[in-house]
Amino acid sequence: MKFSFSTEVVDLDNQAPNRNKRESKYFWDEMNHLISAGGFRQIAIPYEPKWDFGGRSGIPRTLRSIQVKFGGVKEYVQYLKENGIDGIQSIHLNPTLFCQGALPMYLGAAEHYAEEAIHFAAEAGAEAFVLTATPTVYAVRKILGDKTEEEFLGMTKEMVQRLADKASDCGVKFCLKNEYWGLLRGERIEAFVADMKPNVLMDVDTAHLFIAGVDVKTFIAENADRIGNITLTDTSFADDQEAYKQVMPEFPAKRATMVFRDLGEGSLDLKAYVKAAEEAGFSGTFVINCRNSNFICRSILRARYYVDTVLTD
Amino acid sequence: MGKNIRLSHMSHWKTVPYKQIDNFREYYYEDKSNICYYQDWDRILRYHKQTGYEGIELAPWDLNEILGLFGTPKDYTDFAKDHGIEVSGMFHGCDDSHIAEKHQEVVAAGRQAVDVCAAFGGKHLNTCPGNNYYGNGPLDEQGLKNIASCLNEIGEYAESKGIRIGIHNEFFCVSNKYNHRQLIELTDPRYVHYCLDTAQISLMGDDLIDFYDTYKERICTFHYKDTEDIGVPDEGRFAQDVEIQDDGHRWFWEPGEGIIPLKELWQHVADYGFKGWVTVEDDGAPDYLAAMTLSAYYIQQVLGKIYN
Repeated sequence: MKFSFSTEVVDLDNQAPNRNKRESKYFWDEMNHLISAGGFRQIAIPYEPKWDFGGRSGIPRTLRSIQVKFGGVKEYVQYLKENGIDGIQSIHLNPTLFCQGALPMYLGAAEHYAEEAIHFAAEAGAEAFVLTATPTVYAVRKILGDKTEEEFLGMTKEMVQRLADKASDCGVKFCLKNEYWGLLRGERIEAFVADMKPNVLMDVDTAHLFIAGVDVKTFIAENADRIGNITLTDTSFADDQEAYKQVMPEFPAKRATMVFRDLGEGSLDLKAYVKAAEEAGFSGTFVINCRNSNFICRSILRARYYVDTVLTD
Repeated sequence: MGKNIRLSHMSHWKTVPYKQIDNFREYYYEDKSNICYYQDWDRILRYHKQTGYEGIELAPWDLNEILGLFGTPKDYTDFAKDHGIEVSGMFHGCDDSHIAEKHQEVVAAGRQAVDVCAAFGGKHLNTCPGNNYYGNGPLDEQGLKNIASCLNEIGEYAESKGIRIGIHNEFFCVSNKYNHRQLIELTDPRYVHYCLDTAQISLMGDDLIDFYDTYKERICTFHYKDTEDIGVPDEGRFAQDVEIQDDGHRWFWEPGEGIIPLKELWQHVADYGFKGWVTVEDDGAPDYLAAMTLSAYYIQQVLGKIYN
């Protein structure tokens, strides 16, 4: 069983004490050592051009930042190897950042940065590129103009297929992630990919599917041939307030809660999901994502404990 | 704080994800950490009020989330007023202002920022005049004139809306040590004012006291903060992505925690009789609640003995 650890464990977007140091390179240099010390030697990187715009190149989440601080992707991969990380398993782009202003601008920016991220993944020797299928419901509705959601999805589908073909040309698996706050939440992703080429795979993100009301074990079994990546996230959140439609769906407005929990701290039976994936013939890497942790070191160690005592026991 | 000086705090809080957390105790017990103390506007505005601030300066990069949480600028302003806080102004950046072909685009963005600031009830649009020096400098005479031209047009529009734009010259900005005073001279004093960021001017290597005495009639507001790095060399200010240092070195400190002659400056402020908003900007601080409290103490209890 192979695991990678997502650096999305580091929350850069939301207010918290001591957040600012996360923008400096020294913090990330040490992150590699901490992840490695937790027994994880592959990382998954959220690709976030947001930090390019403010010149935050200490944050290793884009091609630009890697070029500024390391010279290039190959040099960065070598640096990782020298600091306890054997490689980059996957790159994930969430294009919600670009979903402001006008629809054509969103589509242009999303495709541009997705292509950039695919090339980054290829050069890094990553196994997979993961694309969030659509921005949040809230953000999409802000830019639709005179278009309908179905028309938006039609344009998205064309873009996704072009990107999947590019990824195939680069030798990288292309996977779509459907967050619970996206237009393709839950089982809606199945119909979306059904008539697409086989090179469009799915990223199974366990907490996102669960919150959207999906039976995750059944979903894995029924979509075995379409699963390219599995992200293990934990949660205890039941969306009884339509948080998925809110401006910040990760922070349910009517009742504050931590939607994503460290592995083992939520209520999901992740062991059962892993077993279902293996029985379905999944031979890829499981990405461990303790998204937006309140306590990063603790999250890494909790994940290691959970892997050792539950998932691989 | 006093009849002459009104204290504001620039919102460098990163995204504040909640308007108001009603299940505070329950939420706390989920993780038993202090994170929940920093996640809603209700508590953050309470911190402002109780630490002596009357105003908040908004950051434009937060507006999408603020409007998503509150609905309209007025809804936010009303909520803040209920906490005893008003919006003193907003920050704005005039990227590409040195490029003649971008003039209309830059002015349009500036006007839009003025409208947003006005909608929130702000009085100051503190404006970074251009891009970073790296990749854009040094500017020739025409480049500087292009920036001034943009500022003049935005400023004229702003005055018509009851807002004053104040140049906020970052120490790594394309207008820099060798020409930032020239930029001020190129702008129209009827429309373009100055937001004196005490640390930025010092980091740039200009003489803070002389700068104040020279431009005191243009200064419409302050960003009050300290630094330990007076006169950063050219190779530092002109470097790529200089604002955030690889080793975590902080350019900015709370007033009184650095080495700027802030008390001497305040005496000059008193002698001139400045009246208006003074904003604490604590970018880079690890804990904004602690930083804003320290800053308010210094301005009220230390500088307040000189002038308030």
